[in-house]
Amino acid sequence: MAKKMNEENKNKGRYILYSLVFLVLGFIFAFSYRTLGKDSGETAPSPTFQEEEQYRADLIVQKERNKELADEIRSKQAEIREFEQSFLRSEENHAELVNEAKDLRLLLGVIPAVGPGVRVTLKDGDYDPVEQNPNDYIVHESHVLRVVNELKISGAQGISINGQRISSNSYIKCTGPVITIDGRTFPAPFVVEAIGDPEILSPSLNLTGGVIDSLVHDNIVVTLEQLKELKLPALRDES
Amino acid sequence: MWLPLLGLILGVSLGLLSDIQIPQLYSNYLSIAVLAALDTLFGGIRAYLQQIYDDKVFISGFFFNIALAAGLAFLGVHLGVDLYLAAVFAFGVRLFQNIAVIRRILLTKWSDRGKVSEKKFQE
Repeated sequence: MAKKMNEENKNKGRYILYSLVFLVLGFIFAFSYRTLGKDSGETAPSPTFQEEEQYRADLIVQKERNKELADEIRSKQAEIREFEQSFLRSEENHAELVNEAKDLRLLLGVIPAVGPGVRVTLKDGDYDPVEQNPNDYIVHESHVLRVVNELKISGAQGISINGQRISSNSYIKCTGPVITIDGRTFPAPFVVEAIGDPEILSPSLNLTGGVIDSLVHDNIVVTLEQLKELKLPALRDES
Repeated sequence: MWLPLLGLILGVSLGLLSDIQIPQLYSNYLSIAVLAALDTLFGGIRAYLQQIYDDKVFISGFFFNIALAAGLAFLGVHLGVDLYLAAVFAFGVRLFQNIAVIRRILLTKWSDRGKVSEKKFQE
């Protein structure tokens, strides 16, 4: 009888030990399953990367939308101009108003402009071993600004830099070796095109002690051309 | 009889529900521990089928192997030697061997039983 009891106790102890073993086993399995399963999820792109991707995608969508809207504006403006033209034909006394609107638009840069004008090209000076500081012979945004201001003062109707139309709201910013105009970066050489009377624009640039003189003094290669016909694109501001 | 099963269920639920986070660095130890546990389990089954099973050997082997494997991996990380590979290799080979032995024993048993029943049928 005692032996049987002993046997039973032994069996009980064995089961308890087994349950302990299985408890540990189950715990290890479940835990590693949970942990390693999570790990495989973590090898996927990190949250910051995903966030960046998300922002990039959003930006692309926004840019596309902007482009669409800019195109829409352009077509709408063309419509308006057509409408005004028809107006011009039908009612002679409004001709003056329509012409004024056209001039104002030219000033704003929302329509492409064609006409006689000047082209000023600003190039970095040649590398001079004596000049240690490269700042002394590259074109800075201040030089471009000076040219633009002089052209504006001299009555230029429309100005563009490297094909980017300048409006009254435009900004020109120095961003290292390049300049940023309305959010677009442009490298040297800078081609400043202005529509206006070349007979007025070029002498005003060429004044003694004027803009071109000071630019040349700053080791910048300046070329000035007078053109019979110049074409400026409309203002692009989708980006 | 149902106590071990209860233990298993408890262990699994404990493992799934516990909120303990272990660093990435130690996930190696965990996989080693899993391998050691599996190895010992199958070793126990094999021993039982070969009728050389012993409680003490099984239970001590179970815990000792897990601890040893984790310790070896720990040591390996600190020595700059991938010792856990050794553990993975050893346990992996033994796991396969154990399972192969179990399979063979079961196969012989099954075919023996078939012969016995055949004999009975003939009789």
